This record gives sequence, C-alpha cells and structure tokens, in this order.
Amino acid sequence: MATTRDTAPYGGPGGYRPDLYFDDLIDEWQGEEKPGHDHQPERWAAKGRVDEWMEKEFRFGGSRIKRKSVALILLGTPALVPLFFMLPALLTLNTNTFSVSVDDTLGTGAELCLFLCLLVTPMVTLTGQRWFFPLRRWYGILMACNAIGDALAAGLTDSFAGGFLGRLAGHVFELMGFMMVMLVIPLLVTGNPWAQRKLGRYWKPLHALIYVIWGLLFLHLSLLEGFGFEHGSDGSGFAGDGDPVFHQRLYQYSACSLFLLTLRLPPVKRWIAARQKEGRGWLVWVTIAPVLALFMFGLIFIINEEIFKGLDSFTNTPSAE
Amino acid sequence: MSEMSASGGERDTTAGRIILMAISILAAVLVLAGLFYATGTGGRHKAALAAAECEPNLSPSGLQCTTVQMLNGQYMAIVTPAVQQLNIDEAAYTANEGRSLATAEVALTSEITSERELDARLASFPFPPGVSPVVKALIQANQARANLTTEQARSSSLTQMRSFNQQIDVDGAAVQKEMKLLRSALGSRPTADQEP
Repeated sequence: MATTRDTAPYGGPGGYRPDLYFDDLIDEWQGEEKPGHDHQPERWAAKGRVDEWMEKEFRFGGSRIKRKSVALILLGTPALVPLFFMLPALLTLNTNTFSVSVDDTLGTGAELCLFLCLLVTPMVTLTGQRWFFPLRRWYGILMACNAIGDALAAGLTDSFAGGFLGRLAGHVFELMGFMMVMLVIPLLVTGNPWAQRKLGRYWKPLHALIYVIWGLLFLHLSLLEGFGFEHGSDGSGFAGDGDPVFHQRLYQYSACSLFLLTLRLPPVKRWIAARQKEGRGWLVWVTIAPVLALFMFGLIFIINEEIFKGLDSFTNTPSAE
Repeated sequence: MSEMSASGGERDTTAGRIILMAISILAAVLVLAGLFYATGTGGRHKAALAAAECEPNLSPSGLQCTTVQMLNGQYMAIVTPAVQQLNIDEAAYTANEGRSLATAEVALTSEITSERELDARLASFPFPPGVSPVVKALIQANQARANLTTEQARSSSLTQMRSFNQQIDVDGAAVQKEMKLLRSALGSRPTADQEP
C-alpha cells in the first residue's frame, strides 16, 4: 500500500523530517488517511508528478539547480520585504520611523508571515503536493524575526510611558503582543534539526504553540481595533479611501483565519480526503472556493497595508494612519 | 462488514460536509457583501476626504490621507529650522561685516549651506501639483540668493563684501514673497477640479 505521498523526499513515517516545523500536528492525521494507489491512482499520480517535476534539476551557469529550489526562493523571498522596508531606518537610526510605523511594517509583516506559515498545511491538504513544505519553516522564522523586531523597536522608541517594559506591556493589547513574542522565541530557537532531534517527542507539542500565538493575535487585534467597531477616525479603518471595513485589521484577520481554521477541522479534512479518494477533487475546490476567496480578500488588504506603510517607512516618511 | 464500514465512513464525512457547506455559504455571503460594499468606494472616498479636510492630490492611489493641516505641519517642520539657521548666520555676518573678513566669510558659507539644504528639501517635498509653480519659483529665488551669497563669500575685502548687501536684501525679499505665496497656497482647500 505504498502511496505517492510516502515516497516524498521528506523521509518515511516516524523518520527524521527536518523540514517539518510549526503546525505539524496535521501530518499525523494525514498519514492515517493516505489513499492507496488502487483506489484513485489518477489524482495522486498527478500530484506525485508535480512533486517529481519539482525535484528535477536543470543547468544554470554551469551548476545544477533543482526546480524546487528556484520555486521556493521565489515564494520565500517576499517574506523578507517587511524587514527590508525597515532597513533605511535601521541604518540611519531613525527613531521617528521606528516609533511611528514599525508596528504597521514589522507587525503586519509578522501577521503576513504567520498566515503564510499556517497556509502551507491547508495547501498540502488541498493539492496533495509537498514540494513547498519547507516554506512553512521559512515563514515561521521570518514571522519570529518580524515580531521580535517589532517588539524591540516598540520598547525602545514608542511614546508610551513606563520605560522599555512599560512600552512593551503597559496596555492590554501590548501585553498580548508581548506574550506572542515571548512564545515565538522558543519556537525560533528550536526551529532547527538539532533542536528537533534533542527534543524528540516534546518538539511537536512545543511547536503547537503556534496556535496559541494565532489566538493571541486575535486578542491583540481585537483590543487594538475596539473589537472591530470603528469609532470615528479611531482605528485602522480610517484610511481616507472610503473603504474602512477593508482596512480593519480584525476583519482581515478573521477573513484569513476562517480558511486556515476550516481546513484544519478533522471532519472537514475527512470529507476532503473522501472526495479526493472518489476522484472528485473538483467538488472540494468548488466547495472551498468561497472560503478561499474570502481568505484572498483579507490577505490582499493586509499586503496592501504592508506595501503602503512599508514604503513610507522605507523613505523615512512614516505614516501614522 | 464492509457495508457497515462504508456507512460509518459516510457518517464520518457528513459532519465535515455540513460544516464545510455552512462555512462556505457564510464566506460566499461575506464575499458578496464585500463586493457590494466595494461598489460604494468612490462616494465614501470623497465623503471621507471632505470630512477629514484631506488633500487628495497628496494621496498616492488615494489610499492615504494627508490633511491640509498635516501638510502645513510637514512644510513648517522643514522651513522653520532652516529659517532659524539662516537668521543666525545672517546675524553672525552682520556682526562681522565691518571687522573680520574671515569670520564674515565663515558666516556666509554657513548661510549658503543652509540655503542649499532648504532648496534640496523643498525639491523633495511631496507638494500637491496645484502649488508646484509656486514651489518652483521659491526654489529659483532661493537659488539666486544662494548664488549671490557664494559670490559675496569670495570677496577679497570687507568693502567688496558689503557691496553685495543691497542685492542680497532684494533677493531675500523675493524669497520671502514666494514663501508667503506658498503658505497661502498650501492653506487653501483644493478646488473642485483638483478632486480625484
């Protein structure tokens, strides 16, 4: 009963799999539901073909490069953009830029990286492809870097009273952010093969903390955005472009999280696996399409926020909107 | 046995189907509501700009809002320290124009640096298109004054240096006039044809 998925280049079940970081719990379940070749060879063979195609090498400048490597670099590089946006302010030690817009640039960057990190597993569920799996670790690491950078800059340059700690945890919404950063540190430190080996069976439960961070982000944004209710110009929805609802960070979070959460519910995964087993993958895509569309809707406005606030930070003309 | 297993499997996936259908319907409603809401963006954009006294021409793609007040604040943040520095340099020159050529020259050099810096900052300031002719005139007037100050700083005697004073004053008055024009242009609300 070997399956296409079993032959993936990430090691066999129970073996050492260095590419599995954060959000790994789902794979246990997927292993149980792996379909056999005899039931639906077409779909899994097709998915295997994509993975195989990605594994192939091509010649570039005298060296051989895997297609997968190029694809991973192309998909992974944008996650560096938030840090890049803050680089001029860091090099010129511009405290004004840090004080005004680090939360919008690195904070939003951390949120984006978290969602991208959490998106990998649902995409594996939907497509059956695994070649993009290493991105989960990459996005997770960059989420941690963005979050820690945001916290450090806020603690050093924010205008709140109470010194470094007061600026980090002086308000309840900040306390939530501070807790997220505290939780992300052990994940960052143990997000490597050596730590995975050393921690053994404790590694997975530890990395389930990513879900706690996801929940804390909801509380952080809820408190920051007045539980989603706009009060005049108070809140991120006031952007002057006539789309306050789309700019509400809590709504963006909710729109994205609905998709990420739905695809993690065991009954939903069982239904998807059953339809895929029947060779009716199209039904899965049709059913999930509105949830995916809502996810894209939310994500586009988070990216929009990141680009505009980030460019302002990059030019050291931070926007306080 | 296999029938029981099949029926159990069906039950297993029923819950998933119901959950997914419910969430999908909710998501579809939200997406449609979002698209419907998006159709009113233009009207709300104009209303938001009017309510916040926004300067629409300063908003790239209309996604940010810079009010006239913010614009004036940013402009003054550039001009005020520059003018203060120029006043200090001028005072230093006035104090030395009758007694020390070297010190007066240092004061004029500092003045030139301040003038050039102000020009550079004005040139990179995101002025709305409506006021760009005034800005151009201000930069030109300031450049003319800086050029003349440069010539004055090259003087070989105090008498020669003082001979520039009257022309410098005339150029200074031109700069001040353009600055006043710019302030009043920035303070006024955009006209209807400037609205996006």
